[in-house]
This record gives sequence, C-alpha cells and structure tokens, in this order.
Amino acid sequence: MEDRPPSDAALAQRAKDGDERAFEELVRAYQGIAFRTAYLLTGSAAEAEDAAQVGFVKAWAALPRFRAGAEFRPWLLRIVANEAHNRRRSSGRRESLRVRAAAADVSGGAVPSPETTALDREQRRALLGAVSRLDERDRDVLACRYFLELSEVETAEVLGVRRGTVKSRTARALDRLRHEVGS
Amino acid sequence: MSELEQALLAVGRELEVPEAPDLVPAVLHGIDRPRARPARRRVVVAIALVLVAALAAALASPDARSAFLRILHIGGERIELVEELPPIVPSPPELDIELTLGERVSLGEARRRARYDLLELDRPPDRVYLGPRNTVWFLYGRPDAVRLLVGQTPEVTVDEPFILKKLAGAGTRIETTAVRGAPAYFLSGEPHAVMLLDESGTAYPETARLARDVLVWADRGRTVRLEGELTLAEALELARSLR
Repeated sequence: MEDRPPSDAALAQRAKDGDERAFEELVRAYQGIAFRTAYLLTGSAAEAEDAAQVGFVKAWAALPRFRAGAEFRPWLLRIVANEAHNRRRSSGRRESLRVRAAAADVSGGAVPSPETTALDREQRRALLGAVSRLDERDRDVLACRYFLELSEVETAEVLGVRRGTVKSRTARALDRLRHEVGS
Repeated sequence: MSELEQALLAVGRELEVPEAPDLVPAVLHGIDRPRARPARRRVVVAIALVLVAALAAALASPDARSAFLRILHIGGERIELVEELPPIVPSPPELDIELTLGERVSLGEARRRARYDLLELDRPPDRVYLGPRNTVWFLYGRPDAVRLLVGQTPEVTVDEPFILKKLAGAGTRIETTAVRGAPAYFLSGEPHAVMLLDESGTAYPETARLARDVLVWADRGRTVRLEGELTLAEALELARSLR
C-alpha cells in the first residue's frame, strides 16, 4: 500500500495541536508561494522575506483559530498578504515588478512557447507597466488571479472579500487594464 | 479566457521573482515558544495595545533583518527579541522626541480628548502629548533631557491586536515582574526600538524611536509604560503611585 504524505489538513491539525515538525513541513511546502505572494505585493525581496517569515510566525500563533476543514494555503497567504500590505504602506513605496530580461530569449533557437510568440517582451513590459498603474485593489486582484494563479475562492480568502467581489473586481480591473493598454 | 487574461498569465510566468529563501530556520526560531493560551490571547486582542514589529522605513535597514528569537506580549505591546537591533535612523542625539510623541496639549486637554481615565502621578507632568491611537505621554524634564516618560494607550478593537512594537536586541535585558498583581516586563540595558501601530498593524514611522529603561504592564484596559533612567525598584515605586 502506498505511503502517502500527510495532507495539509492533517498537518495543520497536528500543528494546531502544537506539533512544530508538522508546521515545519507546511513551511517547507508553502514558503515558495508565500515569498512570491509577498514579493508581488511589495516588489522587494527583503520586504518579501520578512513578510513571509513573520506571516508564518503569525500563522503559527493563529492556528488555534484555524477552522477544521478550511484550506490551509489561502488562509496562510492571507496572513502573508496582510503582512506584505503593511510593509508596503510602511515603506510608502513599491518597487516595480519586472519581466525576466531573458524571458524573450528563453526559446532562442528552440521552439518558442505559445506564450512567447503571443506576446513579445516589449508587449509584456507594457502590459506589466499598465498593471502597475492600476490602483491597489485592481492590481492585487489581478496579481492573485493571474500572477499567482489562485482560484477565485482562494483569491477571495487571500484578499478577505467575497467570491462575488473577486469576480466583479477582476472584471472591472480587466476593463481598466484594456483601457490602459488601449486595446 | 480572453486574450488579455492569457497575456496576463504569460506575464506572471515570466516575472522576475528572486529565488525564495529558506525560511524554515527563522520561522522555527520565531515559534520556539509556547503558543499563547487562547484565553490569554483573547485578553491581549481585546486590549489591543501593541508594539508591533513591522520595521518602518525609519527604522529598518533592509539587510539588517535577523531571525526572531522570542516574542513577548504584554497588554497591547508586542516585544520581539532579535539577535541584532537594526540601525535606527535618526540616531538618538538628533532625534527630537517631541516629533515622535504627538501633538503637544495641556493636561486638561489630554484628559478631555483621551476619552479614558488617565493614570497620573501626584506631580503634574512638565509636558503632555497626544499621539496616535489616543496614546497620551506625560513628559517630565525637558524634551532634550527627559527624566521620565509615562505613556498610556487605551483598549481598542482592531484587526492588528498589537499597538506598540518593540524590538529588543541581545544587549537589552528583560525581567519579568508585577505591578499591582499584573504581569509586567522591565527592559533595561541597551536601548530598544519602539513604535506605535495603527489599526491595520502598520507602524507610524514618525513614532519610531529608541527607548531605554522601560517598565510596561497592562492596567484596566490600557497599556502603561514608564520610561527613563530608572532602576527596577524605582520604576515599580512610580508604577504603584500612578492612580
């Protein structure tokens, strides 16, 4: 019989009961997405590292209030996102996100990916620039949905709003983005 | 999915995101304490006076982060013990303490505007300030030669349960004690960093400053701090005379 790794729910329950090893497994599993979330919100590697780290520590402290049966990942990301927001407001600035310089050259010689062919580097930069000019709410919902590839339900949890709000906010943000890029 | 959405996904996959650091050691350091008991935590949340740790721009140096060693809570204060205190800018001699405390008001005005009963010493303060989150500061001495600061922040309900964040480095000694039966901490030795947090947990950068010897405790829904060149015995005597 296959020896499956414990599920998030099982690990979260054990961590809730005070099992630090179980929490360590959750940290290992989610530190990447936690850091990426914080980075996309702050634009700073140092701030993102701090936000993710403090987010995990706060999550540990908040675990007694974690509902049995809830999804751990969006719950954690919400805490990290709050921490990142706080840091962004504290610093009063947000570094610009960048498209990888080598992105357009990744295919170089090989078969270009459909994405690469659909959108060249300049277009991607222009689109990213347009996203960065949106207001914070629009930017955050687009970052969750398309840069972090979270579901609507997860985005709702992370942003602390209802799923319907995510839908309407996403639609509005896309409209504004279309207007911004003139398409 | 529309073309625009597909383009956004493509951008997301090609964003320049630094490699995620290994957070495990620092996080394990940070949680290396018994979790607050639920009942006590509710009290802390209700009091909601905090010293929060988000390193404000005024305080933090991006590369001066260090792993949390321990986190202590008292009333609305959160005290994070770190291996190394980040450099504080501006440094104390240039820091005008008045700027960090808030608006200068009369004692009567502070009593009216604070909207909670202030604990006072028999001797009236030389200066009074009203800061963020209805924090009232009594200053004894002069701003450039402070002999004693008495700070009080009232109970509030906020998302971020901590109102004040303190960062204490390795050179700061922390002793547990009690004021009228309530648990208290006395911080002495090397200065620690202190700042007020708003309702969302964001530090007010203008409140960030260095503090020296401090006795802090929770008293009837407010967090009280006595700060100055004090011994623990002197601080406790002053604390007992506040009414």
